[in-house]
Amino acid sequence: MTARGTRSRLSSTALHTTLILASATAVFPVAWVGLTSLQTDRNAWSQPDTLGTLGLDNYVDVLANTRFATWFANSLIVAAGTTALAVFIAATAGYAASRMKFPGQRPLMWMFLVTQMFPAAVLIVPLYNVLSDLGLLNSYGGLILAQCTVAVPYCGWMLKGYFDTIPVSIDEAGLIDGLSPFGTFWRLIVPLSKPGIAVTVFYSFITAWGEVAFASVFLQSENTYTLPVGMATFVSDFTAEWGMLTAASMLVMVPAAVVFFLVQRHLIAGLTTGGVKS
Amino acid sequence: MTRRKSITALAATTALAATLAACGGDGEQQASADQAIDDPQSVSGTVTWWDTSDATNEAPAFKDLIAKFEKQYPKIDVEYVNVPFDGADDKFKTAAQAGDGAPDVMRADVGWTPTFAALGYLQPLDGTPAMDSADDYLDTPMASNHYEGKTYGVPEVTDTLSLLYNKEHFAKAGIDGPPETWDELKDAATKLEKEISGTDGIFLTADSYFLLPFVYGEGGDYADVEGKKITIDSPEVASAIETVEELSADGVGTIDTSANKYTNMQNAFKSGKASMILNGPWAVSDILSGAAFKDEDNLGIATVPAGPEGQGGPVGGHNLVVYAGSPDLAASYLFVKFLNSSESQAHVAAENNTLPTRASVYDMPKVAKNEIIAAFQEPLEGAVPRPAAPGAGDLYDTFTPFYEQIMGGQASIQDGLSEAQQKAKGAIPGFES
Amino acid sequence: MTTLTTRPDAGAAPAPVPPRRRVRNPFHTNWLRKHWYAWAMVTPVVAVLGVLVLYPLGRGIFLSLTNANEMNVGRTIGENEIEPTYDFVGLSNYIDVLSGAEGTFYSRLIWTLEWTVACVSLHFGLGLGLALLLNRALRMRGIYRMLLILPWAVPPFVAAFGWRLILNDKGGVLNAVLQGMGFNGVGWLSEPLAAKFAVIMVNVWLGVPFMMVALLGGLQTVPKELYEAAEMDGASAWQRFRAVTLPGLRPVSGTVILLGTIWTFNQFPVIALLTGGGPGGATNILVTEAYERAFQGIRDYAGAATYGAIIASMLVVFASLYRRWLERQTTGALA
Repeated sequence: MTARGTRSRLSSTALHTTLILASATAVFPVAWVGLTSLQTDRNAWSQPDTLGTLGLDNYVDVLANTRFATWFANSLIVAAGTTALAVFIAATAGYAASRMKFPGQRPLMWMFLVTQMFPAAVLIVPLYNVLSDLGLLNSYGGLILAQCTVAVPYCGWMLKGYFDTIPVSIDEAGLIDGLSPFGTFWRLIVPLSKPGIAVTVFYSFITAWGEVAFASVFLQSENTYTLPVGMATFVSDFTAEWGMLTAASMLVMVPAAVVFFLVQRHLIAGLTTGGVKS
Repeated sequence: MTRRKSITALAATTALAATLAACGGDGEQQASADQAIDDPQSVSGTVTWWDTSDATNEAPAFKDLIAKFEKQYPKIDVEYVNVPFDGADDKFKTAAQAGDGAPDVMRADVGWTPTFAALGYLQPLDGTPAMDSADDYLDTPMASNHYEGKTYGVPEVTDTLSLLYNKEHFAKAGIDGPPETWDELKDAATKLEKEISGTDGIFLTADSYFLLPFVYGEGGDYADVEGKKITIDSPEVASAIETVEELSADGVGTIDTSANKYTNMQNAFKSGKASMILNGPWAVSDILSGAAFKDEDNLGIATVPAGPEGQGGPVGGHNLVVYAGSPDLAASYLFVKFLNSSESQAHVAAENNTLPTRASVYDMPKVAKNEIIAAFQEPLEGAVPRPAAPGAGDLYDTFTPFYEQIMGGQASIQDGLSEAQQKAKGAIPGFES
Repeated sequence: MTTLTTRPDAGAAPAPVPPRRRVRNPFHTNWLRKHWYAWAMVTPVVAVLGVLVLYPLGRGIFLSLTNANEMNVGRTIGENEIEPTYDFVGLSNYIDVLSGAEGTFYSRLIWTLEWTVACVSLHFGLGLGLALLLNRALRMRGIYRMLLILPWAVPPFVAAFGWRLILNDKGGVLNAVLQGMGFNGVGWLSEPLAAKFAVIMVNVWLGVPFMMVALLGGLQTVPKELYEAAEMDGASAWQRFRAVTLPGLRPVSGTVILLGTIWTFNQFPVIALLTGGGPGGATNILVTEAYERAFQGIRDYAGAATYGAIIASMLVVFASLYRRWLERQTTGALA
């Protein structure tokens, strides 16, 4: 007993040390960006050894002198829209692929996989032309659709896998009660899949929130700029408003983190209980 | 800011220009020009302007002008869009080829203009109000707008690379004035590094655009327009790089090859950790915010030193161009005319310390008394125009990675240059590589 | 005709089709009726992906068989229509690239493979390690989990800029710390080897949380009874890991490794924003190379599309081999 107690105390110290080191590595870059954003000296970013005066000047600058609020609202609309649309259509398709046998099922799963493979960077010009033909340039709708091309395949793939873990007997009960297949999906399966859906919501939101490549090409007026596009005006190869960039970065990370904390209960709960059902 | 990133090229350019002129509502375009000349107040519409200037420091001066313009022409609305300079050409070309989403007026780098014109994206401005008092433009900045006998833009600002130095450091090291040759610069840099601790004599950046003053010093360039040849692997470029190697040796100076090279250079100079750099007027307001230049007079500006065969920095700057597919051509011409009038240029020059392109503006009081603009006069007079061939602006981006390799010691000068030459094949249509 | 004749029948006698029969006897209905529901549910996805991905992709494959570039493709500028003048060139773009005639393809491919293998194995290894640590009863587990997941909430472009600040050769905090400890500063962004290390490090930092969360979920699906049984049999911790944990994680890890490989192979923002592919092109992977072709210089639509098609087909081959291998492994484990 004694031997075992000592060993576990030792291993517990080692365990905590490892986790603290890992957490520090995870947090440090974010903390450093946060610290830089508080330094009021415009050139402080290049002098890591001096702290200088701290203050909220950069935040005031970003909020008062740029159209940060507009960009922020646009990003929110685009990220929320992408998430809602992508998760909804991916869930219906994932449900169909999980529960129904139909011609085209395997190609569908392959399509989910293959569409993630063709490098999006190469698709920008043809995609621009498609959106232009559809009249969707410079609009939330167009950007949401474009970002769905990234989010949908992943969500469809993951949700199909999640639905597979839910017993088919639940669907059968629903059908016997007179629900349509969609009704069964919507009323019974979706509530049971909250944890799996939370993961895909999180993923879609985070991806759409930080997306740069599509947004910078498809948005053509400052009224529709999203945060990443607006922020690109602070730092480029030739300008280095690091103070404003880091302050804006912190403001960008906050909503992402908030969404994360909101869904994390489902996220973890889902991942822990997901398997029990299978 | 002067770099011309990227761009394109094209071949059957003559044929293309001819097609453009032949097809496509010439009559209507003429009507737009006539309306804008005869009855400007009757012109209505919306002008979308993509401005690539620095959103924080330079944009406000332009926004002032827009407000004045809208007051003068109440029927015209201007939609101002600040597009980051890096990649603005990509964005414009993507939109222009689709025929949807491109701006009516664009601020295009001098290196982009011939390429856009050759691709058929730009509206010729000859005979339109946009060419108002065109005689007043300085010859060199205006030259980049001519393509195949037509004028596709008007110069908005001009610039060139100069030698910027820290006067206090020079005084401490006992150096009388700015060096006039690269040899003198080397001696000065060595002295500065010795006398002032923690300082690099000169801070260079491994960007092929910033190599140009050295190449011009050898009498070379990256392309030979008359011989229709790309000349990156010429002996002149090789000697230019040898000079850079001498200047970046320990005890003299340093060179940065990383992605942060430009901002690192700026920063070292601003904080007094480098005594000399090569940079243009666009960098001055940033430099003056640095600790070493609390006293503005500490900044020395001089023409870049001379090499054995020549002297001068490259001519840079931006033009205002009109998109050929613009539905509001008449309004666009009027906007360009307004934005580039002498009064407007004087306003921008005084606010942003940038160099105007109209000769008359230099005599206007608020410009004449601006010391920074005055200090760049001499470098500008000796500046060397860049080849105006479509695609020539692309050579810098092609060459820079190889220049980085050479300076990083991963390739010899000869190997690096011949690989760059190989890679540049076809960059300028009709040129040999 | 069949539908026409059956419809009135069904309309005339609706009663004999109770909901229950629909479930029990789906085989009696015809093909269309049997599948329309499934198709209706997948239509939105197929429409979105079809229009926005498959069409551009198909067009990309077509372009890769031509010599199209920015100057010879058809385009409409205002009222002016410019006719396309590019030609069909068959497979010559592929031959140029694959024969190595263009020089850079194979060196880029090797680095892309090194990058993918290094990133994915570090993602998986570190993610699994942390998941195992977090899967036990532990004080402050919630806090650790929250902190460790944080990088996932950082958009890649913010991360790239943040790291560029930290890794800067001069004035970066990492070099300042190294110098403070008496080491020489490292040219993280200016020396090829260090830059390769730097991009891998940043991508690992970004990607570990996803793996960790996924594997943590996977670990919790492994039935506790299996561990208990193994412990009763006197299996050591290592043996339990080999015999219970790893097989239990196989479904999850199979998917995340596949996705991780695809994502890493095509990881654009980290490299483009951190090093821009530099110094001297040392950190350019195939996808950043394809992007350069698509946007720099003469916009080489055909060349970029060729790279894109080669990248995609390599991934398709990899994915099908990998899934076949995975299936064989799974059935092997069951047997």
